[in-house]
Amino acid sequence: MANLYVQAVPTTDLNRNTEWFTYPGVWTIYILILMFSWLVFVSVFGCSAGMAWTVVHLAHSIVTYHFFHWKKGTPFSDDQGIYNRLTWWEQIENGKQLTRNRKFLTLVPIVLYLIASHTTDYQHPMLFFNTLAVFILVVAKFPNMHKVRIFGINADQ
Amino acid sequence: MDTMLSAFGNMIKSFSDWVTIIFDAPSSRAIVLGVPIRGHLLVEGLLFVVILFLLSQKSYKPPKRPLTKKEVDELCDEWVPEPLIPAITEEMKYEPPVLESAAGPHTIINGKDVLNFTSANYLGLLGHEKLQDSCTKSLEKYGVGSCGPRGFYGTIDVHLDCEARIAKFLGTYDSILYSYGLSTLFSTIPAFCKKGDLVVVDEGVHWGIQNGLHLSRSTIVYFKHNDMKSLQSILENVTHDNKRAKKLRRYIIVEAVYQNSGQITPLDDIIRLKEKYRFRVILDESNSIGVLGSTGRGLTEHYKVPIEKVDIVTAAMGHALATEGGFCTGSARVIDHQRLSSSGYVFSASLPPYLASAAITAIDVLEENPNLITKLKANIATLRKGLSDVQGLELVSDPESPVVFLTLKKSAGSMKADLQVLDDIADNLLKEHSVFVATSKRSTVDKCKLPAGIRFYVSAAHTETDLEKACESLKKATALILAGQ
Repeated sequence: MANLYVQAVPTTDLNRNTEWFTYPGVWTIYILILMFSWLVFVSVFGCSAGMAWTVVHLAHSIVTYHFFHWKKGTPFSDDQGIYNRLTWWEQIENGKQLTRNRKFLTLVPIVLYLIASHTTDYQHPMLFFNTLAVFILVVAKFPNMHKVRIFGINADQ
Repeated sequence: MDTMLSAFGNMIKSFSDWVTIIFDAPSSRAIVLGVPIRGHLLVEGLLFVVILFLLSQKSYKPPKRPLTKKEVDELCDEWVPEPLIPAITEEMKYEPPVLESAAGPHTIINGKDVLNFTSANYLGLLGHEKLQDSCTKSLEKYGVGSCGPRGFYGTIDVHLDCEARIAKFLGTYDSILYSYGLSTLFSTIPAFCKKGDLVVVDEGVHWGIQNGLHLSRSTIVYFKHNDMKSLQSILENVTHDNKRAKKLRRYIIVEAVYQNSGQITPLDDIIRLKEKYRFRVILDESNSIGVLGSTGRGLTEHYKVPIEKVDIVTAAMGHALATEGGFCTGSARVIDHQRLSSSGYVFSASLPPYLASAAITAIDVLEENPNLITKLKANIATLRKGLSDVQGLELVSDPESPVVFLTLKKSAGSMKADLQVLDDIADNLLKEHSVFVATSKRSTVDKCKLPAGIRFYVSAAHTETDLEKACESLKKATALILAGQ
């Protein structure tokens, strides 16, 4: 019988808002959700494969931009507001940079971009939107951009 | 020059040839995901290199950048230390009168017997024989302290008896005891109102409620003091255009009798509004338990509103019940929720048992002697009648309120100036007429903006002559001070 259980170390993340991302299986689920949404676009809406990848990529960009890089703080009140000025991306792994999870989250949009632009054969206008989305997301994920609000975008009042 | 240009042209040509060769290589005809890879190779190869580069990076924790020596010097130069204590102002030199005996209707200040209107001893139970007896018995049996929080060896049978007695008296399902009257609201409000919740509050609430709201980190909206039109328009505003409001917990917080003005909340209107706009009501009955209603069951009895309609009722027991501590009462869910998530109940030592038994006895005495309430009401009426024609002062409190509140008819210009005039009057009353009253001096953290005034806490233990003397003295003192201006 194969080993059906994952050997996992207990999380050391005390932030309830981000600790779930350290659980085993999160990457798999993340990828599966993306694949499944592509399937939905292809089968239900009848898009071409390339168009469906573009839509998945753009939707993924918008959703992750909002939840990772725009919304600050946590929904929980027991952390006394210490995360109120940090976005989710800045909170994960307590601000440690270039960790495995961060690399994974950076790779997802790049790979999606690769697939989306390849399958649309680098055609305008999909290429433009895909490039714009991946550019914003990747810049926002740079280690140098940690706690930096360029041009005061999303800065504290 | 020509040779250089042609050399450059040759270079470009050879590069594009090289690129063409690569694109024509057998691998570039491969088809990936249904699209031939032809022509994408360069871009995709580049991105692939970027990915490899990213994966090869080591993780690190962003260092906290140390300050340079220059920056440290600058910061040190800029720093002006704040004084450890603020500069002493004239007001701070004020020495409050010190009581040298129990704070009954008469008390001793500077060795002189004075008439006391500063203690919220509404029923005159302070120093009552039965209460003292029960305190002594309880002390002999349990000692002074209760040795721990309620959930942690601090629960003693009298606590449970007291909770049951309060619930039975008020007709609620259950109640919960707190160790200190003021801190009841510091705990109850944050136990229910959380970050993002919507709380609509009267602007005249006392500091206990203000602090509870501050600790709750909810969104606070104030309405005009005791103004139901203002409350309605605010409820309308916050619920009408706001679809999110339906998903939030929403509360209205009011005091039954406002300590800061002596006004009584129109509970019937509040219940009507709460039901219309679907809010929960938190009612502080500190100054109305044992006072309002024909049997002293507070504001709900006064307005003949069933107590179940008010979601959360809190009260301090330091006023009419002449003991200390506070309680919250309501439905089983309201009370049970607090037993595990109200900080004052979970984390602070429980009420000393003798105070709990004093509270039980106080309720017993109150139920046995309904004439105490009649006497208090008569006293309030007498005092109000005597104070109705004081030159320069205006009665602003409710006719039923045991907190009789007088403000200046003509404001001296600012809150501080008003308070100075009122303080002078109170000072004169104490020194010349041996009548001890309090002005509404507020703490610096108190955000209440209601006008300053003189406050009389009426007690059932005041006699007719006491009240007459107080009225006469106030008239004389006011005439003297206002004439001197």
